Amino acid sequence: MNDVAPILLCEDLVVGHAGQPVMSDINIRLPAGKIIAIVGPSGCGKSTLMRVLGGLDEPMSGRSELLGTDLVHATALERESVLRRSGFLFQGSALFSSLTLRENVELPLREFLPIPPQEIAQLAEYKLALVGLADAMDKLPSEISGGMAKRAGIARALALDPAVMFLDEPSAGLDPVTSGKLDELILKIKESFGTTIILVSHEVPSILRVADFCVYLDSDTGRMGAYAPPKDFLSPEAHAKAHAFFTLARIS
Amino acid sequence: MDRMNQMRSKAVSVKRHNAFLLVNYSPPKYLTVRMSHNSARAPTARTEVLSDGLTLVVVSGDWTIQDTLPRISFKGDKVKVQAEALGAFDSSLPAWLYVHLKNVRQCDLSALPPRLQSLVEMAEKATLSSDRPDPPGFFENFGSWGVESTHSWGRAFDHIGQTAVGFARACIGRARVNWSDFTLQLQTAGVDALPIVALLGFLTGLIMAYVGLIQLRQLGASVYVANLVSLAMTREMGALMTGVIACGRMSTSFASQLGSMNVSQETDALRSLGINPVEYLAVPRILAVTLMVPLLAIFATFVGIFGGMIVACAGDLSIEQYLTQAIVAIKFKSFLVGFIKSIAFGFIAAWAGCYRGSVAQRSALGVGDAATSAAVLGITLIVIADALFAVIFNLYDF
Repeated sequence: MNDVAPILLCEDLVVGHAGQPVMSDINIRLPAGKIIAIVGPSGCGKSTLMRVLGGLDEPMSGRSELLGTDLVHATALERESVLRRSGFLFQGSALFSSLTLRENVELPLREFLPIPPQEIAQLAEYKLALVGLADAMDKLPSEISGGMAKRAGIARALALDPAVMFLDEPSAGLDPVTSGKLDELILKIKESFGTTIILVSHEVPSILRVADFCVYLDSDTGRMGAYAPPKDFLSPEAHAKAHAFFTLARIS
Repeated sequence: MDRMNQMRSKAVSVKRHNAFLLVNYSPPKYLTVRMSHNSARAPTARTEVLSDGLTLVVVSGDWTIQDTLPRISFKGDKVKVQAEALGAFDSSLPAWLYVHLKNVRQCDLSALPPRLQSLVEMAEKATLSSDRPDPPGFFENFGSWGVESTHSWGRAFDHIGQTAVGFARACIGRARVNWSDFTLQLQTAGVDALPIVALLGFLTGLIMAYVGLIQLRQLGASVYVANLVSLAMTREMGALMTGVIACGRMSTSFASQLGSMNVSQETDALRSLGINPVEYLAVPRILAVTLMVPLLAIFATFVGIFGGMIVACAGDLSIEQYLTQAIVAIKFKSFLVGFIKSIAFGFIAAWAGCYRGSVAQRSALGVGDAATSAAVLGITLIVIADALFAVIFNLYDF
């Protein structure tokens, strides 16, 4: 066994939908403060895997640990405690549509912190300023663009200073400039807060910019294809399908 | 630190032997800061005004988002921030500094640890884009409300116009109408509503007979309770009760359906296909309810008269007396009044739902608001229409 406990560990993990396995043989050991990207063709189970790794869904079999807690055997309270130390950005941002951006960020702060309202407002204002939304704090999610909604989602995920963040397709549907800015933000969060980040993405340039490691899910075999730093996938000696995926995506 | 180095070298050796990919373990920076302090100290801050007018803000202690943070106030637009025996900190310290310093013209953060400096500057850099506008005052709010109300009326009349055109086009077979919706709504608005219409109609007739019987008995005119119930149910209550039930059931349902379609951009998709959403979605719904409410009103009228008969016969009247009086009281004209009203009430209930749904805000709250306002608008318009009918029928002695 290793002396250094990884922040995320899974061994022989099998994930699936409605009793049907989608992806198996997943083995990941991720140190703290790193960014890992989960890539693969559409429908291969990337988001499903992310949900299992984050403790939102249960695996079909295998071992999955996050922040030192065994998520398979964890009690509801332990699972809740892990979720509280994690931040999620969902594919559609999942902002509460009836709340302003400020109220969206304040919600977890109000629920979990025993501090006065003005300090909660202060923290929310800062988190929104960090992602460049200081001028849009009092807008409703329906009044902002897709890129702004992603950033607001990140601000809400950052609200409680999570040790680990899960980002589901953060740059999907964004133009290259906005996507680049979002990559910068992700890197800054990692560097400044020391947050471990697990992201699901299709965007190879973005993965090459931000990720320290990359998991390639092979939809043909239904198994994890490769786990390596993303630059390794560019060399021809790498896992053939992962290399093809990276090369094709890069050209396109 | 030695222990940290040991941990790192162990991690490197593990990497060589492990099947998994593992690189040097470097703990998060803020965790590193925490490790060097065993006992947390309260966060503190103080200010000093130096001789050259510079305000010095000194922060110290451990800053976490769980703590109540210190309060400071200072004047002047030249500030230097300094850390003194600063322990662990998370986002609470950069947030505190950001909020206190965002309006300071000249701010020197160079004496802070580089990570803290970058966390404050990240937020400041992102905020520099523009000044926030002042919040609107009372008159501005009042003006906005007036303009919005005018727009709201405009949208309502526009929707009525589109509905009328949709019906006209449907009559000449040129409208694109979702007829499968029409048959579904016929069932939902009609057959599915029978139990609730029966219950409420029966109870309405029963209550009227009960109240009427007490009063009429004092005059020795108990037999006229049949006239009271049958006339009231035929001309007024049958149509009114059914209209209100249609508002509760169908208006809210239509507002939610169309509001949700608005949220998921389904109505935009229809527009992009060259299909008018009012024609496609509203016309079949309004037509179905307008056809079903009069039938339900007739049903409610008869059930109400039956309810009245139960009370009347339990009291002073026989069944024959009650029925004879009722048949004498109900003229075809009264029956027509109730029928015309119920057509109007059905149209109003369905239109209110479709209109509020089509202008719903694109959020969960917007859909809820649309459902509520559809019921309120529908019931209000039905009562207003009922009053207008009363005046008109009275004028023409109908």
